[in-house]
Amino acid sequence: MNRKTFLLGTLACLAAGLALPALAQPIPATVDQKVTITYYNYNLASAGNGAEATKRLIAQFEQANPNIKVDGVGAAPNDLTARVQADLAANRVPDVVQMVFSDFNFAVSNLGAVALESIVPPAELAAHFEGIAPNGRKLGVVDDKTYGLAYTFSTPVLFYNADLFKAAGLDPDKPPRTWAEVKTAALAITRKTKADGIVTGIFGPSAGDWLFQGVVRSNGGATISADRKRLTFAEPAAVEAVAMLRDLYDSGAYTNLDVTAAMETMASGKAGMYLQTSAIQGFLVKGATDRFDLRASTMPRFGDKPQRPNNSGSALVILARDPLKRRAAWELMKFMSSKEAYTVITRDIGYLPLRTDIVDDPKYLGDWVTKHPLIRPNLEQLAILEPWDSYPGQNYKQIQKIMMEGAEQAVFGGTDPAKAMKAAQDAAQALMPR
Amino acid sequence: MTIDSALQAPVQAMPAATPRPRPRRRGQGRVVTATAHLVMVVLSIFCLFPVYWMVVTSLRPANEIYDTALWPTAASLDNYAYALKAIPIVAMLGNTLIVATVVTIAQLATGLLAAYAFARWRFRGDKLVYTLIALTWLVPFQVVMIPDYLLVSSLGLLDSLGALILPHVAGALAILMLAQAMRSFPREVIEAARMDGARSWRILWEVIMPNLRGTIASLAILVFISTWNEYFWPLLLSRSPENSVIQIGIQMFMTAEGTAWGPLMAASTMASLPILLIYVVLQRQVVQSFMKSGIR
Amino acid sequence: MSDVAVNPSVPATRRHLLPWLYLAPAVLTLGLWIYWPLIDAFRLSFYEWNMLPTSEPRFVGWQNYENIFALQKFWQALGNTVVYVVGLWPLAVALPLAIAIYTHDLPKRSRNVYRAIIFVPLIIAPVVAAAVWRWLLDPRYGLVNEAIGSLGYRAVRFLQDPKIAIWTIIVLTGWKLIGFSTLILAAANANINPSLVEAARMDGASRWAVIRDVRLPLLRSTVLFLTLMTILLGAQWSFSYIQVLTGGGPLGSTTNIFYILWDFGFSSLSVGWSSAAAVILFLGFGLVAFVLFRLIDRYSFHDN
Repeated sequence: MNRKTFLLGTLACLAAGLALPALAQPIPATVDQKVTITYYNYNLASAGNGAEATKRLIAQFEQANPNIKVDGVGAAPNDLTARVQADLAANRVPDVVQMVFSDFNFAVSNLGAVALESIVPPAELAAHFEGIAPNGRKLGVVDDKTYGLAYTFSTPVLFYNADLFKAAGLDPDKPPRTWAEVKTAALAITRKTKADGIVTGIFGPSAGDWLFQGVVRSNGGATISADRKRLTFAEPAAVEAVAMLRDLYDSGAYTNLDVTAAMETMASGKAGMYLQTSAIQGFLVKGATDRFDLRASTMPRFGDKPQRPNNSGSALVILARDPLKRRAAWELMKFMSSKEAYTVITRDIGYLPLRTDIVDDPKYLGDWVTKHPLIRPNLEQLAILEPWDSYPGQNYKQIQKIMMEGAEQAVFGGTDPAKAMKAAQDAAQALMPR
Repeated sequence: MTIDSALQAPVQAMPAATPRPRPRRRGQGRVVTATAHLVMVVLSIFCLFPVYWMVVTSLRPANEIYDTALWPTAASLDNYAYALKAIPIVAMLGNTLIVATVVTIAQLATGLLAAYAFARWRFRGDKLVYTLIALTWLVPFQVVMIPDYLLVSSLGLLDSLGALILPHVAGALAILMLAQAMRSFPREVIEAARMDGARSWRILWEVIMPNLRGTIASLAILVFISTWNEYFWPLLLSRSPENSVIQIGIQMFMTAEGTAWGPLMAASTMASLPILLIYVVLQRQVVQSFMKSGIR
Repeated sequence: MSDVAVNPSVPATRRHLLPWLYLAPAVLTLGLWIYWPLIDAFRLSFYEWNMLPTSEPRFVGWQNYENIFALQKFWQALGNTVVYVVGLWPLAVALPLAIAIYTHDLPKRSRNVYRAIIFVPLIIAPVVAAAVWRWLLDPRYGLVNEAIGSLGYRAVRFLQDPKIAIWTIIVLTGWKLIGFSTLILAAANANINPSLVEAARMDGASRWAVIRDVRLPLLRSTVLFLTLMTILLGAQWSFSYIQVLTGGGPLGSTTNIFYILWDFGFSSLSVGWSSAAAVILFLGFGLVAFVLFRLIDRYSFHDN
């Protein structure tokens, strides 16, 4: 055997050996020895409710599982995936990761996310899935396997300022339900008050494309084909959605503000309506206390077509390779997606519960929901939630950016929507995997 | 620019200048002075107002953050109390202080040594090395961040302050600025010292360095600040708040659920004070460097 | 210049080695932490890889470079970069020069106060500064527009108008740079031998003549240095403000070569894009730097 063959052979064995842990290897039924697992989490990297609540949950988990120590690693949401990637490259495999949904497919196809069906006995898995909203569970499913469980996630909600509505002669108990109604309401507000009609979190570098997808989908369009081989955001249904936004902007109803400015404008009571993730509800409430009457409604529809929101947020994913660590990771995942955990996540951090049965149960969220009606539209939309489509291949981020730049050009830049979207689609299609 | 020309040119030019005693044009002088004062005042407002705004915002309650009143209706230190509780500010300030101080001293040391090599001697490859060093300045840190992360990890330094310090032990700005300052150092002094039998090391530390105090002080301030305000590299390395630096702490208030501006501004104000102190202490050196004449 | 002939007592080998000994710490550090990854980036820019040991890098030739040059906003970013440099120069070099010279002759108290004030913007973290400026410049609720409105003019959309936004970012970047450059120039000014100034004054030169004939020539190398810095680093200095305030918009009017390479390259998880971006940035600015160094050398030569 010559040297080259030997080297190639060794490489092949190495590659196979590295790949082996990803194959199904049974995990122990319990954690019978002491083990430490790392938990990459972006709430831990923040200051405030999110961090406190997460720390409490981790402490509770460690108390219930004395053999497992959880090493929390905080990383801001924009850097979390990069950090996971860097640590994997440095051979420090993270065990459980709070993966942002936009990078979820990347985690599955590149970072070695573990399919739950391949490590957890079917009976145990089924028992845990009971009570989880089927739509919610689907969010973490790729190719019929569950790679993640939606953890901190929410839907797009139309917040509105009831005081401004009254000042503009609108009825705050009947918020706009369709985009046409939104336009009328927004124009009324701009004419009769000094506030902005509507602002959104659709555009901007940190917005990604998650809200945009929801708007396009609500018009019956899609940004990518079902077989994930072709980009479809220049097709008529999507272009129509973009044209609607363009018309909204041209008429003066929709003000172009960046994500942070939009949030602050709403929180200071200077915008009539705000379409954004319900996760920032707490922030808006703080600004609205004693200043104005903040309310919420579901995402606007296109005429009679149903609204089709997709989720934002994160899912818990297991990346651990060692069987004992996988069992410990799964135990952590189970705890973080239990009724108690979702109660904390919804009540203290402000996200949706994956388990809808806790909403009306007085033992969990029942009382809280009655006192905090703002969460209702969010919960309504959980029943019709769809997964956030992410793009395949290594250039997925660039594809998303190119698409959003095209849409921005069409809505705010005066370019014809059909032309702008087509140019963007052609450029982005070149970056899709061949 | 050759080493001596900078010093000789104006000296030679002086005798050529016609020594006409000019009649002082008082009116014109006053207009110029008045305009200069006005410009400085406008500049001062331009420089200071945003900082003032930062402090004022830190005193406002959450539902008044965006108000435009010049002073909050109900100024309070609640944001400061909250910030101190929410993030381990003291630990972070301590870490940042250690890192910034060590990096500053290290860059000054490596910079002085390297600049001396360039200013004192001509050797094979000196232009090339100088250019290569200058070019590293063009390389933004994000470019080399991930490979450096892997290097730090393989050195086992991932959770330590050493990771924050090591890549910055030498810096192009320090080397270039010091080389520049050394090149305009009068040649005669070095020659004289060497005639006295001083070795290169002594010349550097006892003759050159004391006279570069202004440059060293200003460099120290700049390096300290740039390390203090560094964000991307510490972000990649931060695993737990207690072991990170203050910039990470400030940005912890920017959460996925909205930004807590009040505490953020409070934390930022607290983070700015140490730098201001360093500046006040060191800036005196910037002025005095030529008070002691280096030319005998 | 060389002291080889003048000091025969030092052995020849040591003389040749000595500069290198002094250079060693700096060269080793920069070589290890900057050049080694950069050289690796050259290699990786021809591959597509996600950095993980479990996957193989895929050779794609010039594809990464083609992708970057094909970006819609690439040429706009390049053009904007020139605007940034030209716009920053007065704030990064000319104004600080004037301030450094002007304050040098002031009485000690006012000099220190003025210089400290000019310096204050540097102590604020860029992200915080960007946030505060955003509030101050808001078209409807910002203090600046309130002041403009009270003077009877229409509100200026500092960050939202594609024609003005880039100039706003330039001024904001300059806000910090003034202090930075003033400090460097003040240090250089302080290095000037006061006896030269005295000699000129005794010859009857006016204050302006002193500045023109003594200070400016001696500050020339520092001024050139700062100009070089502005040309090479101007795009990088404005990065924080672009990232926080405009994201390159509105409609690409504030993006520059550094920002676009960061947006599509450095911040992405694709090593191929990121490496190609790094190479483009390095070679591009390296070329500019090379040309500028040559020009400076020629200019100085003529002057002698």
